[in-house]
Amino acid sequence: MLKVKKARYHGIKLPELSIGLDYSNADVQHIFVSHAHADHIPRNRTSLREHTNLAIYATPPTAALMRLRGFKEDIIELPFFEPLTTDHFTMTLYPAGHILGSAMAFIESGVGNILYTGDCKTPASPATEGFELPKDRQVDQLIIEATFGLPIYRWKSNEELQSDLVSFARQALDEGYTPIFLGYNLGKAQEMMHMLRELPETKQIHGGGYPLCAVYEKYGIDLGPYERYNRASSEGCLLFTPNSGLESGFASHIKKKRIAYCSGWASHEARRTQTQAHALIPLSDHLDYFELINLCEHLQPKRTYITHTPDPKVVLHELQQRGLDAVYLDMMHEELD
Amino acid sequence: MHNKQEAADNFELWARLVQNIAETRGSNAKVELCANYFAHLAPSEVSLACQFMGEGAFSTISGKRASVGARTIGVAAADYCGIDYDIVFKACRTANGSSTETIQRLFENLPEARQKNTLQHWNLARISELAEELAQTRGRKDKQRILTRVWGGLSPLATKYFLRLLSQGSLRIGFERRSVLQALARSSQVDYEQLRYAHMLTGSLAKTAELACTNRLDQAQFKLFNPIAFMLAAPLHSRSVEHWHDFIAEEKFDGMRCQLHAHGPKVELFSRDLNAITNQFPELVELFGKKEFPPTVIDGEICVYRDQTIQPFQELQKRMGVKKPSKTLLREYPVVFIGYDLLYLNQKETVSQSLTQRRISLENIAKTYKFPISTQHSVDSKDQVDQLFEQALAHGNEGLMLKEKEAPYSFGERNNHWLKVKRPSGSIDTVILYAQAGSGKRGGSYSDFTLGVSVKEDPRYEEEFIPIGKAYGGYTDQEWKELNKAIKGCIIDRFGPTAQLRPEIVVELEFEAIQPNPRTKAKYTLRFPRFKAIRWDLSPQDVDSLDHVEMLFNEHQSKERSPQKSSQSFLIPD
Ligand SMILES: [Zn+2]
Repeated sequence: MLKVKKARYHGIKLPELSIGLDYSNADVQHIFVSHAHADHIPRNRTSLREHTNLAIYATPPTAALMRLRGFKEDIIELPFFEPLTTDHFTMTLYPAGHILGSAMAFIESGVGNILYTGDCKTPASPATEGFELPKDRQVDQLIIEATFGLPIYRWKSNEELQSDLVSFARQALDEGYTPIFLGYNLGKAQEMMHMLRELPETKQIHGGGYPLCAVYEKYGIDLGPYERYNRASSEGCLLFTPNSGLESGFASHIKKKRIAYCSGWASHEARRTQTQAHALIPLSDHLDYFELINLCEHLQPKRTYITHTPDPKVVLHELQQRGLDAVYLDMMHEELD
Repeated sequence: MHNKQEAADNFELWARLVQNIAETRGSNAKVELCANYFAHLAPSEVSLACQFMGEGAFSTISGKRASVGARTIGVAAADYCGIDYDIVFKACRTANGSSTETIQRLFENLPEARQKNTLQHWNLARISELAEELAQTRGRKDKQRILTRVWGGLSPLATKYFLRLLSQGSLRIGFERRSVLQALARSSQVDYEQLRYAHMLTGSLAKTAELACTNRLDQAQFKLFNPIAFMLAAPLHSRSVEHWHDFIAEEKFDGMRCQLHAHGPKVELFSRDLNAITNQFPELVELFGKKEFPPTVIDGEICVYRDQTIQPFQELQKRMGVKKPSKTLLREYPVVFIGYDLLYLNQKETVSQSLTQRRISLENIAKTYKFPISTQHSVDSKDQVDQLFEQALAHGNEGLMLKEKEAPYSFGERNNHWLKVKRPSGSIDTVILYAQAGSGKRGGSYSDFTLGVSVKEDPRYEEEFIPIGKAYGGYTDQEWKELNKAIKGCIIDRFGPTAQLRPEIVVELEFEAIQPNPRTKAKYTLRFPRFKAIRWDLSPQDVDSLDHVEMLFNEHQSKERSPQKSSQSFLIPD
């Protein structure tokens, strides 16, 4: 088995292969960026630049999105399913279903293989390349995120969620209200636009999310008619903004509006008062507890590592009950080995 | 949403309405939804629907409680859906923040719970019976069996609200009693003010709805010699008072709450649980009867008063419950009635007036008919409150009452208009959690007791009560006999000589000091705890909180108290 080290705030390291997974330190030769969300992109850029012997890998859509979000270092674009072979390992990327470009890394070496999921969702979000696992391969080690790793989380199907979004928008518009969808700028906004693509009304998206939409379209995701948010013409459109947008005046001039908070966290009633939303639509881009357990059970890894979870005991307990060896990688604390 | 199989008073429909109200923004829209719902119900159904929305499974004035703790529910729920309580359930509750919503989600998501479910389409009345069954059932195991049966017949959503009903608290949907009354006013097309008045007098949403739906609101009248629910005080927390000068202070007498109704020679006395106690205090009946009052209702306190001093509560206990007391008893334990509020005078209720207005009338009538009333002090600072507090203690009184000057008399409600500031050290109200059979003289009967304080509102705990100390003595033989009799009715479980009790018997516990003790659940222990009095007149809701114990400890740490010169706690106008 490969050694798996967590480096506080810097991501995960496979020291024997000199690989960093969503990693921010320059003490490795290879860094894999699973997707373009800020908490997965290398942060410590000055030290990366000085380290000439370092390669950063991402899928082409992820690389495009990273550049749009200001990432200036060289990125080696590694398309899905195309193995990259070095002296010590072979790495192949598989679609993770989280946001456009999001990938899982399957790393094979002389001492076994490892599947790192990054953020993932299965069934995949419809605005992604899907979700696919390495075929005919026994996974030795699985590193998987468990953001919603509690049995209080079980998502509706994409079809049901889409119909929730559409009827929320339709009803608001028909009653003379402007519907506003709260979700972050990369991924959630485009996913919702895609799900609402058949509505004839124009979609206006927050300036932070607008340029990212072109990448989605380039890779074949239909977003319907849309434009950058424009205060003057926004009333009566479908509006998309992160939470923070509302606080800084987004749509503040529109009196008749209805807000839908769209996130896995919308499955908590308390978010209703916290977000001042009229509707809570639990649209998540992470897998739920049951999907997580099923995935682990399907893969039958020799060892499973859980990251990003509200209470690791729950998933570990469930996996152990199913006879799977599982440990918790606490990203916030120092390595113990 | 309406299913043809569902009668209008189906509890599932009620639960969906409640969820709908929770999801609707704007109080007018919420009221509209609720009014539309009421309009489809028969009068008796509206009553229960209102009570469920604004009070809980039981009416507030009934004082009834389902008495199922959060842990009892949580353990049963975990068991019901086949998960580990400590590992899985607790983590889910921590993440979600609400244990009832957690249960809803788990029941929706987990196949084991879904398999056990067959919708029973219970109506509101059936739900009320099931809650009653829970209240009547003693043991934790038996309560859990009932819960499981109820869950099997309800949707997860209805289960969430059923559990919220049991706590007699808010449904947490942004829809309080006032909104319920507004909806009722709309659906039954009556004047809101008239409805509010009826509610004030009856102290009950169900009763108010019944009167409204049957066009009998005019019957909601204050009737002399019919007791009405008392206004209750909440404990003072540091944050409950913003402006001291909005309040007046009175000493909190170490006596028994009493509502005195008088008209001409006729006098009736009622205790806090609204029972007539007239024949226990013949001297008061005689005294007030002779004064020939106009129709009058006064809220006040009965205390043993001898040698110009208010005597401790234990002395009053000699008189409590004794019907037609002997001459000796009357002579040894003479009582006084001290008025502090006026609820009715000359065919007019005064409850909707401000305290200031009621006080003026009270002072006038006290002057005319010469009876004692509490001394009121204006306050404008915390320092002043502290000073008055010490003075109250010097009189042997329990502490202080802070009452908001502008507030009306809110029947049957415990809110921040009245605040009690209690003794900083010396005694707290606790509830008996465990009883242990002693040996020797009292062998075979229960003589050692574990007392608990309330942590219901305390986010650090999931229980309702946790132990604060053990007491072995301080009670008389007579009290001990009564106690043993009462205990038999409260036993939930037995472990050898120890019996676990339903928290019901309230004991005022005296002690020398409070000490921090990290090894105990409460993190504090009491030094030399002993029974001061068994408070049959109090309910578990009156039990002091752990917060209160901490506050006492901190206060004691921060200052030494010296006795004050006495001044009067009450006035007898001359
Ligand atoms: Zn992500």
